[in-house]
Amino acid sequence: MSKSKPTIFLDPALDRTSIATDETISRDQLAVWYRTMRLARACDQKLAALYRQGKIVGAVYLAIGQEAICTGVVSLLNRDDYFSTVARGLAGWFLRGVEPKHVMARWLGRDVPPAHGRELGLFFADIQQYGIAPYHNGSMASWIPSGAGFALAFKIRKQPRVYIAFTGDGATSPGDFYEGLNFAAIHKLPLVVVVENNCFAYSTTIEKQMPVENVADRAPAFNIPSEIAFGNDIFEVRRVAKRAIDYARAGNGPYLVEFKTFRVRGHGEHDDMGYVSADLREFWEKRDPLRLYAEYLSGAGGLDEAEVKAIDDECVQTVEDAVAWAEAQPEASPDSVTDRLFAP
Amino acid sequence: MAVITYLEAISQALRDEMRRDENVILLGEDIAVFGGAFKVTVGFLDEFGEDRVIDTPISESGFTGAACGAAVEGLRPVVEFQFADFIACAFDQIVNYAAKNYYRWGIPMPVVFRGPAGGGFRGGPYHSQNPEAWFTHVPGLKVVQPSTPYDAKGLLIAAIRDNNPVIYFEHKHLYRRIKEDVPDEDYVVPIGVADVKREGTDLTVVTYGAMVHKSLAVAERLSREGAECEVVDLRSLSPLDRDTFLASVRKTSRALVVHEAQLTGGFGGEVAAIIAQEAFDVLDAPVTRVAALDIPSPFAASLEDAMLPTEEKIYTAAKNVLEY
Ligand SMILES: Cc1ncc(C[n+]2csc(CCOP(=O)(O)OP(=O)(O)O)c2C)c(N)n1
Ligand SMILES: [Mg+2]
Repeated sequence: MSKSKPTIFLDPALDRTSIATDETISRDQLAVWYRTMRLARACDQKLAALYRQGKIVGAVYLAIGQEAICTGVVSLLNRDDYFSTVARGLAGWFLRGVEPKHVMARWLGRDVPPAHGRELGLFFADIQQYGIAPYHNGSMASWIPSGAGFALAFKIRKQPRVYIAFTGDGATSPGDFYEGLNFAAIHKLPLVVVVENNCFAYSTTIEKQMPVENVADRAPAFNIPSEIAFGNDIFEVRRVAKRAIDYARAGNGPYLVEFKTFRVRGHGEHDDMGYVSADLREFWEKRDPLRLYAEYLSGAGGLDEAEVKAIDDECVQTVEDAVAWAEAQPEASPDSVTDRLFAP
Repeated sequence: MAVITYLEAISQALRDEMRRDENVILLGEDIAVFGGAFKVTVGFLDEFGEDRVIDTPISESGFTGAACGAAVEGLRPVVEFQFADFIACAFDQIVNYAAKNYYRWGIPMPVVFRGPAGGGFRGGPYHSQNPEAWFTHVPGLKVVQPSTPYDAKGLLIAAIRDNNPVIYFEHKHLYRRIKEDVPDEDYVVPIGVADVKREGTDLTVVTYGAMVHKSLAVAERLSREGAECEVVDLRSLSPLDRDTFLASVRKTSRALVVHEAQLTGGFGGEVAAIIAQEAFDVLDAPVTRVAALDIPSPFAASLEDAMLPTEEKIYTAAKNVLEY
């Protein structure tokens, strides 16, 4: 890094160290979103601890620092809208009613629906109960074509539903990103791509991932609108995502929103993040979405600090209870290993 | 009943199912306005409209993934790959999304992938392949390959009505060459059931696709020479009907496995292994395979003919097994 050039971590136009909203939002509603984000944070912190204790057999991937994006976006959705998230969307599931105890049981490989031990806690799909559709989340970007397919079904059936594809910055380089968005743009499908640009794809920086500065700079290839916004401000997330969702729902086609954010932990908990500079961490530390939100809440938000603290404590307790419940669940029986390969 | 070609049988199955169920939609390159590279879907656009007959951009992974998503949502998409060779571009969506979806979540994905496969008409390395073994290795996929118009229609209807991803390989060489009487009404050839195309007592030939016809021709020749072959057409590779070919081998004590795809890692290895393990006690000769040479499909006639299994190669191998 050259000494003469000061490092800019975020375009000054996007930079926020405090947040505010023009919307009229009830205290209760504000608290719900805060609780959702805090619960996701508490879950992730607990998962990190369980990982270190060797209680989680595989790897663990956390969403710390990105909670405002999925909370803000999913808060705008109708129940029959679909969204797909990868590692970093736990709060979105909670907003849909997914229970922390089930999340924990899945991470611990227990025999709980819908995966019954067949899939990591990282992934989740249950249309009937939570309206979360199964998508292809193995290979990066492969959920963009399938998202276009869900959106195609909505369009063919003339349903005013949208599909939100949460996508990392790294996942905008594989061919599927192009193939899926190209198809969706041709057919004007209600697909909103929400890019969580968290500065890294695993260890790889944006400069090594793409020849453009922003993911949004790729949108002109599809002739679709795009916006860039600060992703750690839940209110800004709602403002920008609402435009995108309304646009897609009205039948105008796909929309791309790029939220700048930061992956506070490593790619997974096995990652020591040696490639992340102290300056960068410190910069984002001051812009942590929960910190910004908590400050807003206990100021203009109308809650006092004790009330905010009470939510924090309640979330930690919920997670402790969730782990206790999860640990008491059985593992899937080996006899079931070949079950459910084909649908009847 | 009417005499129709293998291609017309495929067309008929698609049209009938689209008339019966509005959830059936088609996606593929040049299938709408042009009616498909092989003209399987001529007239479909006029009858069913552009919401249901979709000309896609050249993006196999993109439209395959889209079909999979739409299938989860309750549509029953049938994807046409212009040539089975290009299914390679959609490999990830098929093997990592479609194949694993039900095992992971218990949510059905009723989607069909049609791949015009096979060589014999100088298509060269990218228009001649038989990629079935790429997919029979993957749990969660059904893989079928009809050899006759009757089976082509019945298997495609079964595939469309199946609640799982089904890969349907149709042999290009059979499109207009093979004709037979096929019922006008709809019927199903169940997936996972083989068919004995010729009965015999001396040698079991296990085969599928275009090689069924070559094997039948060889069987006639051998019959004139006094040996009766039983020709088992697998029709479905996954799930595999072991019982039918094992019962046949138990009767004949000799087995020849024939396919058009390359030998090594080909599906015939699986069949041979099953016979060796399950019917070892009755075998009078080593289980023998006839398949393409282990090279890419060459273009020139002299080379392609040298590469593909021919009646002569099947005949020679059959004689060796019979005389062992
Ligand atoms: C096609 C493919 N290649 C590699 C991987 C392994 N992998 C999983 S996540 C990841 C990085 C993703 O980065 P990004 O899209 O920015 O998402 P983030 O992890 O930052 O949220 C990689 C390389 C994969 N899942 N799929
Ligand atoms: Mg990233």
